[in-house]
Amino acid sequence: MDELRKRAKELLEAGTVKVVIGYENGTAGRTRALFAEEPKAAEKLIFDSRCIMNLASYITKAEVKAKGKMAIAATLPVMRAIIQLASEFQVSDNNLLVLGITPESTMIEFKDIAEVEAFVHKYEIEIEAKYSEKLEKLNKMTPSERWNFWIEELSPCFKCYACRAACPMCYCHKCTVEFNQPQWIPVPSHDLGNLEWHMMRAIHLAGRCVDCDACYNACPLGIPLNLLTKRMLIDAKEHFGGYQPSIKADHLMSTYKPDDKDNFIM
Amino acid sequence: MSKIGVFVCHCGENIGATVDCARVAETSGKLDGVAYSVDYKYMCSDPGQSLIKSAIAEKGLTGVVVAACSPRMHEPTFRKACAEAGLNPYMCEMANLREHVSWVHEKGEATTEKAIDLVRILVEKVKYNQSLNAIKVPVTKTALVIGGGIAGIQASLDIANTGHKVILIEKDPSIGGHMSQLSETFPTLDCSQCILTPRMVEVAQHPNITLYSYAELESIEGFIGNFKAKIRRKSKSLDEKLCTGCGLCTTKCPVKKIPSEFNEGLGMRTAIYVPFPQAVPNKPVIDREHCTYYLKGKCRICEKVCPTQAIRFDQKDTIEEVEIGAIVLATGFSVKQPDFFPEYGYGKYPDVITGLQFERLASASGPTLGEIRRPSDSKVPQNIVFVACAGSRDEAKGIPYCSKICCMYIAKHAMLYQHKVHGGKSYVFYMDIRAGGKNYEEFVRRAIEEDGVNYVRGRVSRIYEKNGKLIVKGVDTLLGAMPVDIEADMVVLATAGVANNDAEALAQKLHVSYDAYKFFAEAHPKLKPVETNTAGIFLAGACQAPRDIPESVSMASGAAVKVACLFSQDELTRDPLIAVVNRMAPPVYSSCVGCFLCVSACPYQAIEKEEIKNRAGEVIKTLARVNPGLCQGCGTCVAFCRTKSIDLQGYTHEQMYTEVMALLNEY
Ligand SMILES: Cc1cc2nc3c(=O)[nH]c(=O)nc-3n(C[C@H](O)[C@H](O)[C@H](O)COP(=O)(O)OP(=O)(O)OC[C@H]3O[C@@H](n4cnc5c(N)ncnc54)[C@H](O)[C@@H]3O)c2cc1C
Ligand code: SF4
Ligand code: SF4
Ligand code: SF4
Ligand code: SF4
Repeated sequence: MDELRKRAKELLEAGTVKVVIGYENGTAGRTRALFAEEPKAAEKLIFDSRCIMNLASYITKAEVKAKGKMAIAATLPVMRAIIQLASEFQVSDNNLLVLGITPESTMIEFKDIAEVEAFVHKYEIEIEAKYSEKLEKLNKMTPSERWNFWIEELSPCFKCYACRAACPMCYCHKCTVEFNQPQWIPVPSHDLGNLEWHMMRAIHLAGRCVDCDACYNACPLGIPLNLLTKRMLIDAKEHFGGYQPSIKADHLMSTYKPDDKDNFIM
Repeated sequence: MSKIGVFVCHCGENIGATVDCARVAETSGKLDGVAYSVDYKYMCSDPGQSLIKSAIAEKGLTGVVVAACSPRMHEPTFRKACAEAGLNPYMCEMANLREHVSWVHEKGEATTEKAIDLVRILVEKVKYNQSLNAIKVPVTKTALVIGGGIAGIQASLDIANTGHKVILIEKDPSIGGHMSQLSETFPTLDCSQCILTPRMVEVAQHPNITLYSYAELESIEGFIGNFKAKIRRKSKSLDEKLCTGCGLCTTKCPVKKIPSEFNEGLGMRTAIYVPFPQAVPNKPVIDREHCTYYLKGKCRICEKVCPTQAIRFDQKDTIEEVEIGAIVLATGFSVKQPDFFPEYGYGKYPDVITGLQFERLASASGPTLGEIRRPSDSKVPQNIVFVACAGSRDEAKGIPYCSKICCMYIAKHAMLYQHKVHGGKSYVFYMDIRAGGKNYEEFVRRAIEEDGVNYVRGRVSRIYEKNGKLIVKGVDTLLGAMPVDIEADMVVLATAGVANNDAEALAQKLHVSYDAYKFFAEAHPKLKPVETNTAGIFLAGACQAPRDIPESVSMASGAAVKVACLFSQDELTRDPLIAVVNRMAPPVYSSCVGCFLCVSACPYQAIEKEEIKNRAGEVIKTLARVNPGLCQGCGTCVAFCRTKSIDLQGYTHEQMYTEVMALLNEY
């Protein structure tokens, strides 16, 4: 990724952007986010198969935005998140420059987010076979089997909210779990409280989740939360014509069209 | 500390016979925060209301729960009573012990328990109620009437005559609707055009009416008293101010073989045309789909012959933006067309026609100048068959309802035929004769008894051609289902009256409900026949269900009165049960993160963006804001907002949560 390092350096030198967000080597063979503000820091930028964290979760943070215009090294899932965030008015061409990293590991500098969208739309969001098989199995369960499955899977969750912190779409200042007048979602991490938290989170990601798996990767307990969001992506495809983040198209969950399918109404 | 009063109504026997009202009152009296409870035979009666008023005064009640009927019936009554006693009306809630309890359950222990539960949850809710003030909004005293058939014409004239402005839009080049196509009208056999055209002219000349023909509703926003409409005025390719309506262009246009819509395809028209001689406005439009110039880039003959140079080939559609306070929907109906009746050979045999086509044949202004001549060879049919209920009352065809007008116009058609073709034989295949209406039964009897029309009770199964005759195969159910075959020269199908193709789309544009057949739905089948469920939008004529002229006109006058009532006020008061986006102290300002997904979710376009600026005028945060004038309190945004930044006044998160918890908790 010499190309990336070179361009990041140029951008910082020219003052076009104030910070470049990318990956650097962390401890114990892991990677972490790099916020390069000096041209020299750009040399630390790396990109390889370990770089799976969704960097878009940083671009909505007030302290990062406060630095000034940002550039971001963005893989496909990160680009998807950027488009969705732009459609929700959280970032714009004014404060973000996208240095795309293609699936072939080459760099493309995009003129604007519309261009990012045109590029991203060449790729469908596809659910990996191992997940779709699992989901198919879940679908075949009786409601009570499925209930037990989830109670069991979610029961170890101790509400550290690492999933939320890692998710680019969980940028709200005050999450529903923190809403306490009234306390819709119970604070304690008992079975029901966990279920409510995850159901709530999943539904808030319907039509927004970009399938980056950052939540799942962040969970210290390896809870398969991404099964919930993947289920919704499949449903979106079956009932609403599929999900692709877009700054032009209407939001999947909040808009109604006369020709929408209604086969899910019982 | 709350002091809540619970008032349990027996509604005579309605609730009292099923629910133990005394026990409901007694148990409620023991609930936390309840200072007074009582049951009474008729709470909505004067003494009932006095009971509430005096309890408020004497016990110093802070909230009231009336356990009675549906809030749709009496909420205004009880809120008003509370207000009169000095309590904010929005501190009063109703538990529905009638529609939700006594009318749907058997008498018994569980039923009374349910009644107590309903009271309990509302007692808990009222503890979180807040005093609210009604919202006042101004009224724009101009009405929009959509559709210029007889219903739209009548509604426009009636409203205009009360002194208010009317904008009438008609999608076709002329107003008049179906009535302008009719020959004579039942039950009096007076000429349709003769009674209609004076009204059409009156519309054109009325100082309070602006007529936009060849125009359709593009979009609408706003709410009762304050709608904003965009009207698309389709290009007529004509400068209407210059055109004198001389008609020279229509005589010179070389494209002469376009089936005329007005004549139901039985006559031809030119590409630049006026649909019929008495059209209002009587000025032509160019049909761009058929005009040689638009198709091939050459011709412009009309432009050359026009003495006032009124033709405008490059004219574009224009969008007119208007502000209106009320809408009358009068878009009428359609009749089922060919392809729907393969078994009757419609579309295959030219002499199988629809009732509407028969009207054109019988009409003096029609293609045969009023002589009954069949389309295939212009011969006068000596044997004619009328088929009632073609499509109507037929589950298999998806139209189980009765189209209502057909029985009457068939009798009319058969009568007109007998008057015009002496010695001709006419047959009517019918299921039942539905002639309810003043002088209607007499009219049908006249057809049978005086004009000798043969009525055969039975359905026609098939029509086919043999040796130049149309063989109509049916049965006579009054003769033990005896097969009847008639050799006819012409067959007229009374095809079902159905909603317009664009009815559903229009209803969705206006947020008006519609029934399973896409006819617009009235707000109440008995008590609100001309209202829709959307405040400020009214219905007239056949857009609500198949209707004849007298009914369409009555509805139109009814709708006009509703509009006039609305316009008699300068301001409307609305319930303040609307959504509000929370506001907090700086630097947060609100828990709203400005994702504006609520903007797209709101069906009433009530949510706007609000910029919070610092002293230097820089935008520091962009938040959602609900426009109180536009919000209808539907709550869609509340359900949608992930950050729970929106609350619905009168149905807040706290109130809803408390209600649920009250239900789950033992008492
Ligand atoms: C064959 C036949 C014979 C009949 N004979 C009789 C009779 O003898 N006596 C009797 O009382 N009744 C008779 N009727 C019934 C009569 O035609 C109706 O009662 C009457 O036409 C209803 O009037 P309307 O204004 O509601 O609808 P319509 O006449 O259908 O008028 C609706 C108008 O709205 C316009 N429009 C539609 N959609 C839009 C839109 N989206 N935007 C703008 N404009 C729009 C249409 O172009 C039309 O001009 C007969 C009906 C038929 C089919
Ligand atoms: S990261 Fe895992 S443990 Fe933590 S809140 Fe999310 S699901 Fe629960
Ligand atoms: S929910 Fe998980 S998979 Fe979806 S966008 Fe957030 S982090 Fe990525
Ligand atoms: S009110 Fe809620 S849904 Fe609307 S913009 Fe704010 S956070 Fe988004
Ligand atoms: S409650 Fe919300 S969604 Fe409904 S009309 Fe009001 S602002 Fe719109």
